[in-house]
Amino acid sequence: MPSGNRARGQREVARMTASAIVSIVSLLSATLCAPLAAQWLDHPTPGIPRAPDGKPNLSAAAPKTPDGKPDLSGVWYRLSPKYGRNIAADLKPGEVQPWAETLVQQRHENLSKDSMNTLCLPLGPAYTTAGDGTTSAGMMKIVQSPGLIVILNPDLTYRQVYMDGRALETTPNPNWMGYSVGRWEGDTLVVDSFGFNDRTWLDSEGHPHSEALRTTERYRRRNLGTLDIEMTLSDPAVYAKPWTVAVSAELAADTEMLEYVCNENNKNREHWVGTAADDRKSGIKVAPEILTKYIGTYEEQPKFWSHVPRTVQITVSGAALFGDMDGRGMTPLVALSETSFSGLYGLGVDFVRDDQGPVTQLFVKHVSGNYKFLRKK
Amino acid sequence: MKSHVFPAITRAIVLLAAPLAVPVAAQWVNYPTAGVPRLPDGKPNLSAPAPRTADGHPDLSGLWGAEVNVPCPPDGCADLPLNRQFLDIGSRLEGGLPFQPWAAAVHTQRSADNDKAAPSTRCLPYSDVEMHTTPLYRKIVQVPGLLAILNEHDAFHRQIYTDGRPLPMDPQPSWRGYSSGKWDGDTLVVQTVGFRDAQWLDMGGSPMTDAARLTERFRRVDYGHLEIDITVDDPKAYTKPWSTTLKQLIVLDTELLDYICQENEKDVAHLVGK
Repeated sequence: MPSGNRARGQREVARMTASAIVSIVSLLSATLCAPLAAQWLDHPTPGIPRAPDGKPNLSAAAPKTPDGKPDLSGVWYRLSPKYGRNIAADLKPGEVQPWAETLVQQRHENLSKDSMNTLCLPLGPAYTTAGDGTTSAGMMKIVQSPGLIVILNPDLTYRQVYMDGRALETTPNPNWMGYSVGRWEGDTLVVDSFGFNDRTWLDSEGHPHSEALRTTERYRRRNLGTLDIEMTLSDPAVYAKPWTVAVSAELAADTEMLEYVCNENNKNREHWVGTAADDRKSGIKVAPEILTKYIGTYEEQPKFWSHVPRTVQITVSGAALFGDMDGRGMTPLVALSETSFSGLYGLGVDFVRDDQGPVTQLFVKHVSGNYKFLRKK
Repeated sequence: MKSHVFPAITRAIVLLAAPLAVPVAAQWVNYPTAGVPRLPDGKPNLSAPAPRTADGHPDLSGLWGAEVNVPCPPDGCADLPLNRQFLDIGSRLEGGLPFQPWAAAVHTQRSADNDKAAPSTRCLPYSDVEMHTTPLYRKIVQVPGLLAILNEHDAFHRQIYTDGRPLPMDPQPSWRGYSSGKWDGDTLVVQTVGFRDAQWLDMGGSPMTDAARLTERFRRVDYGHLEIDITVDDPKAYTKPWSTTLKQLIVLDTELLDYICQENEKDVAHLVGK
């Protein structure tokens, strides 16, 4: 698949992973975009090491700037399935303030009606960990100059990281993109940020933060193709202790970002109806002996990704079916029939049996289409 | 409702509000700019030569604001001080813009409607041209192969490739378009195609269609001044290509503050007009 198609494919995936009803809007935009050529996505990235067959040598050494620092410049895919969904996935019970847990639950019940993506607002501190789960942050372009590093996002927002030695603000005027200063520790870029307003969510589940949030990110370009990123969050008003999440980014060679303007013909809110409880109410009971037939690992075929095909894991716990995609976390599925389920982060799942009876594949259902996953085990 | 043409939450308001709320708020807008050439009395020497990058080209990097040339009434400006071309991109053209008949009619109609149909009233992006004339600031970051323009308005960016790549033949339409620039002596000449249809070039509603080809000639006259000669070649909306100059002044000892149009947006419901 040419990189241009891949990037477009990634858009689709990004949309698929958004909450249920955003798909109404996605369908419209996806349909409009699909047939159009987007030649600039196929522009070869100059100056990168390549194998004899012309493919980028992603395991080549990370490039350096003239001053000897690692050069993080480039277009990147952000990968963060787990923390994009739940930034607090590694915290223990009790480490999130009860009011914040309640708020996350409310946001889940409201089908994320007030998320940044629904309201067309910037993601604030969440760009780093949003990953490919959201169109607005699925890619980034790093522009590195000696005194300033700029991170450009597909939703046209940007973030500045001052590299001129200035101090972090002590009493910042809270804003959407925060205030960031960076420094080099060996080959690692360390970025301290402060001054975010408290309107943004830290993940798609809706974990909140206060204006006291501070983050420290550590960026290390392991090789040409891989950027390792750690982010430490500290917000004592909401979380009992600072914690660190590890995410990564993969070089998007030979392509560019396509702009994504959320407000373009935005009809999200008027179609955003219902609650999670409605879904549960329409659920039916399916016999455990049927559910257990679905247990397994399913891999997308044909794969949508160049390097990593998406995978779905299905398990049974108690008398209920659970699903996980790409490590985002097990989530309960609601049975609409013996073979059709909803609730995979807003996506549907249909199981398919062959003539002899065993379940051989499933379809992940999104308003943009059905995506086939073959059973691996 | 004319006041709506000025962004609802502006730097002016931020600066007014900040001292009331927290006396030391927003220090970063007071950060001294590094490397400013100075006169013997210590003041910035705005007519010093333009700086250059390591490769010898003029360095356009810096924080820039549109020239202010709309006089305030005697009792002061009600909103941000303005550049006339923000209101009317044809204001420096003798005889005005060479509208096609439909475009002239649309322009007249938009004025009659208090310009309520402007994309920006729906928090849609400004056109690239409006980004040069808005009273909000922008920062140019020039690195080898790329010029990035960072705008306060919606914290939006624009990329101008300077690595010599050709313009695409069949670009996917977008608000920013696809921009490629190359140096002609000390002038960066930027060509942009691939615009999404139905953009506005100014708050008066001068249209730009998807047929437009925008040429911008960026010239840093001296340390303190940047001139952008734009040529709009849009045969659908205009009978001939036309050109005008957008003057930019360096902005020192401050930084960008993001302005997010969609934040607490209540304007659309109050728009009035035919």
